[in-house]
Amino acid sequence: MTSASISKAEKSYIQAGLLTSPPRRADGRSLHDFRAIYLETGVAPLSNGSARLSIGRNPLDGSGGTEVLAAVKLEVENIEEQTLDGGRIACNVSCSPSAYPHLSSGALDDLQHDLTTVLHQTLSHPSLHPKNLGIIPRKKSWLLNLDLLVTAEAGNIYDALFLAARAALWDTKVPRTRSVEYKSPKTFLSASGDMDVDQDTRSGFDTRHVAHATDFELPDYWDEGEILEGRERWPVAVTLNLLHTAHFLDATLQEEASCASRLLVVYSHESPTAYTIQSMRMLGSDELSIPHLKKLIKEAEGYTRSMATSLTTKLEDEDFRRNQKAREKFGRRK
Amino acid sequence: MSADRLLLTLSDSSDSSDGHSRIEILNTGGYRSDGRRQYELRTISIDLSPQGSGADGSASLTHGLTQVNVCVFGPREAKMRSQTYHDRANVNIEVAIAAFSASERRKRGRGDKRILELSQTLKSTFEPVIQTSLYPRSQIDIYIQVLQQDGGLLQACVNATTLALANAGIPMYDFVCAVTGGVHSTSALLDLTLLEENDLPNVTVAVMPRSGKITLVSMETRLHVDRFEEIFRLAGEAGTVIHREMRRAVKDRTEQLVASMQSVGRPSTGADVGDNEY
Repeated sequence: MTSASISKAEKSYIQAGLLTSPPRRADGRSLHDFRAIYLETGVAPLSNGSARLSIGRNPLDGSGGTEVLAAVKLEVENIEEQTLDGGRIACNVSCSPSAYPHLSSGALDDLQHDLTTVLHQTLSHPSLHPKNLGIIPRKKSWLLNLDLLVTAEAGNIYDALFLAARAALWDTKVPRTRSVEYKSPKTFLSASGDMDVDQDTRSGFDTRHVAHATDFELPDYWDEGEILEGRERWPVAVTLNLLHTAHFLDATLQEEASCASRLLVVYSHESPTAYTIQSMRMLGSDELSIPHLKKLIKEAEGYTRSMATSLTTKLEDEDFRRNQKAREKFGRRK
Repeated sequence: MSADRLLLTLSDSSDSSDGHSRIEILNTGGYRSDGRRQYELRTISIDLSPQGSGADGSASLTHGLTQVNVCVFGPREAKMRSQTYHDRANVNIEVAIAAFSASERRKRGRGDKRILELSQTLKSTFEPVIQTSLYPRSQIDIYIQVLQQDGGLLQACVNATTLALANAGIPMYDFVCAVTGGVHSTSALLDLTLLEENDLPNVTVAVMPRSGKITLVSMETRLHVDRFEEIFRLAGEAGTVIHREMRRAVKDRTEQLVASMQSVGRPSTGADVGDNEY
């Protein structure tokens, strides 16, 4: 990870502060406190779903903090092989050089690639795959492109990326499609000159039964669509920064640099009783014993559960703000 | 060759909302497709609050639906000593266009030719304007991020960069204000949207308002020579309008900063104003 360059004295100072009791951090937080998280959905109107998330932004002027912009764009894909039936997901992370002013462009590319790999491997897993990404079975499906843009970094980038991804996917609407079939009317082929009207009485307007769909159309061009299926399943990540006797959450850049290793755990909390680990990574150079690892995973489950619950509450709030309130406001206008 | 005819079930292709049908660029009432008049510019919104990780200056500018963020770092020590000049600062401009910025998703890498051309155009526009001789052997980095595109990309980049440089306190000889102009049969239009840009011959003109000098003219379509003079003149005038908006934004921001500076660190007696000088 990109860490701020930090002297040994400063490193030791930060570690000592974290290991005392009560633990002391530079901004007065406790070991498991997060900085303030700001979230807004619907920030990219040209996309099918989007969100802007920032952790630890200064409330007075909006500066600082870790900021991620996420947007989902759906493309129609022709299915070549059987495996792609039902749509697929592709994630991509790009880091703006304004977020990493000290990195060279080569290092920035490497970082982008690392972050993309983690996000893509976790989110494109079949267990999370939404069921409404198909259009015409075995012919056409939706390719969901999730693009994340890091515009500022002040530590805890993984948590921010997964939260922004979840928010953008929650906000995503898949356009409703209707299968279309090309049929030649039998009446025009009749050898005799008579028009056999009774033979093919099924109206061309009856689209209830489409036997062999070859193409599709959008019944309503202006309709945003239906929500992406399985939006409770999208996972939430927590990075546990490890010290020998304790761990802490939501590290700033200096705190990240003072930590020898970190554990990233990604949990999916579909319901209070159904939760699974989707992904786990150890970052850094230290070692971990198995009992310690098991204990940390258990803690991560609790952290991610509360993160997922608050995120869901906020997202439902955002939905209400944008849809319901807008409708009410429109209805009140003369 | 039989009389096979294909029956498409229930189609809305006659509906004009799918964008493939004719949309009038300028109707008989003198209104454009987005409701503006001929010489009317799109809404400009400028936000000079800090962005990025500790940028020295930043600006977020929108022209209607085109949104561009610019962060400026510098003058600072160059990352690569080989690229420094002994007598002036090196200006480095990098443009990034978000994949979700247009209606068709398109991921452009940093080496994309279009992007490199845009960066090069901007660099040659700003190098003579920034007083680089004041900062020898240093580097000024300008990072441009395009978040949404609806026409007028070069125009938005130029305007946003000027604001970000002003916000960073980097001395320049003047503001640089850019605007696009186009011609629809014989009527001149200003500040074109994407729809208009794709249909009409158009030119981007950047002007330095105090001296009235033009620093950038960029055109990629064919425009009749008789029309060019009118567009050129109009674009120059529009540049001064944009300049007014930019000056107002910078002034508001400065007033805000001065007000917050004055409310901090003032000794309670108020009599030791002289002690504040350091």
